[in-house]
Amino acid sequence: MLSREEVLNLAALARLKLGEGEVESLQKDISNILEYVGQVSAVSVKSEQGSTLLKNVMREDVPAATLGKREELIKAFPKEENGYNVVRKIIQKDEPR
Amino acid sequence: MSTSTKKISNGVSSLNELSITEASKKLAAGEITSVQLVEACLAEIEKRNPSLNAFLEVFADAREQAASADLRRAKGESHPLLGIPLAIKDNILIEGRTASAASKILEHYVATYDATVIKKLKDAGAVFLGRTNMDEFALGGSTENSAFGVTKNPHDETRVAGGTSGGSAAAVASGMALGALGSDTGGSVRNPASFCGVVGFKPTYGAVSRSGLIAAVSSFDQIGPITKTVEDAELIFNTILGKDSLDSTSTENSKLKIENYKKIGVPRTLLTKGVEPEVLAHFESSLEKMRAQGYELVDMGLPSLDYALSAYYIINFAEVSTNLSRFDGVRYGLSLKGESLFDDYARSRGEGFGAETRRRIMLGTYVLSTGYYDAYYGKATAARTQLRKEFEDALKSVDFIATPTMPYPAWKVGEKSDPLAAYLADIFTVTANLTGNPAISIPMGMVEREGKRLPVGLQLTAAHGDEAALFAVGKLL
Repeated sequence: MLSREEVLNLAALARLKLGEGEVESLQKDISNILEYVGQVSAVSVKSEQGSTLLKNVMREDVPAATLGKREELIKAFPKEENGYNVVRKIIQKDEPR
Repeated sequence: MSTSTKKISNGVSSLNELSITEASKKLAAGEITSVQLVEACLAEIEKRNPSLNAFLEVFADAREQAASADLRRAKGESHPLLGIPLAIKDNILIEGRTASAASKILEHYVATYDATVIKKLKDAGAVFLGRTNMDEFALGGSTENSAFGVTKNPHDETRVAGGTSGGSAAAVASGMALGALGSDTGGSVRNPASFCGVVGFKPTYGAVSRSGLIAAVSSFDQIGPITKTVEDAELIFNTILGKDSLDSTSTENSKLKIENYKKIGVPRTLLTKGVEPEVLAHFESSLEKMRAQGYELVDMGLPSLDYALSAYYIINFAEVSTNLSRFDGVRYGLSLKGESLFDDYARSRGEGFGAETRRRIMLGTYVLSTGYYDAYYGKATAARTQLRKEFEDALKSVDFIATPTMPYPAWKVGEKSDPLAAYLADIFTVTANLTGNPAISIPMGMVEREGKRLPVGLQLTAAHGDEAALFAVGKLL
């Protein structure tokens, strides 16, 4: 079973604050689910890789208002000032890890 | 516009029970108006939605939309969907309206543009009645993961409607809408269609543009119709399909001609465990029905199916964790402040996402992390490639693959509280998403549980681009 620390580490990597008492049930659920989906490790991976259907789809880099009007997009900002989105300083001392 | 729900005479109050095809004919013949159709749906919504919780919001301007559709018709326009009232899943954007994906993190998010499917439906003149409930971010299979309460099954309100498009399926099954749009990531259109006794159709991957669909698992997601009949599903599909420059995965279908499709493969080994006997009995009699109409049945094996669920869920977790990383409280959506930037993210996401969403994000983070990536994600994509190849080969010797849609009828609300138990219900539906094949769920009968009759669905899968063949065989059932 995943340890408490492993679950807390995953939550930190995923930028999720977990509720009190949630860690224990997540230890159990995540371990059960990983055990089940781990069956896939029995699949033999054939050596020829990349024989997929994936292909690049290119287009001209032409600006277009595909996401809607600027003023409507600005309305969704949590905090707006003079048409700009106000965010916290990205580089600062209090970032853990 | 009048906001009263005045009764219309001459049995017109049951207009909501018409199929789209029937209503369309009556509209074209001038026997009814779109306003009358919408009034009938709104009356039914008022009656049933409080207990079913299929609609998260009923649009206040539905009557105005209908009136403008009637005006368009009066001016000479015609389209089979002109004036037809539809319900739209809450993860499909309509400009100026809330789209929350049934999540608290997007509870007050207002869409700034139309999804491509919405643009196409607006051009056709469809009326949008409201937005329907779903599992949060389309993660689940019962609509129990909605942040805004579960959707109940119209056939038995102690049971789930299925999911993740549970609201759309319940709305159509109860006559609150003539048809609906859902989205299908691992069965999210077909599963609730089976549980509610309606038709659910997942197109070939790439057939319908996902621009404006809130992404769950981008390599699986497809938008599909939920309707009362196969004809209706075909009608909506033909309206929304096509290549779109805003979705680079969308493609033009090059083969819309139906050959003489008569061979149905049945993967018998897959049916030996977990399928309820009564479901199996209905399955056998629908096979018999097809045989009587000249279809040939063949047993078939699909060895890689053993890994389908595992591969599906690993890829699901991985893509969910990356797709949902965009919700961070910085540009839009719920934004909560903490002591640091890290806390801002963790609080907004921790409190904005529900339990199942958080669980999948963490599982995705795990399977993508250094040291585990090869064992999980690497193997899952390998299994997916093999399964796809197997399907391609199989569909050279048969035209359709038939299974039940779900192994059992709708379960009781709260019955599957263990997340893994709920995942296992998706055994028959996830393969079409792994392989990109089109698949349809069609009602195949009713089973009785505690004195209530519950519907179960038949699933047919066809080769890529063969939706026309699916509709053709579907109409015979």
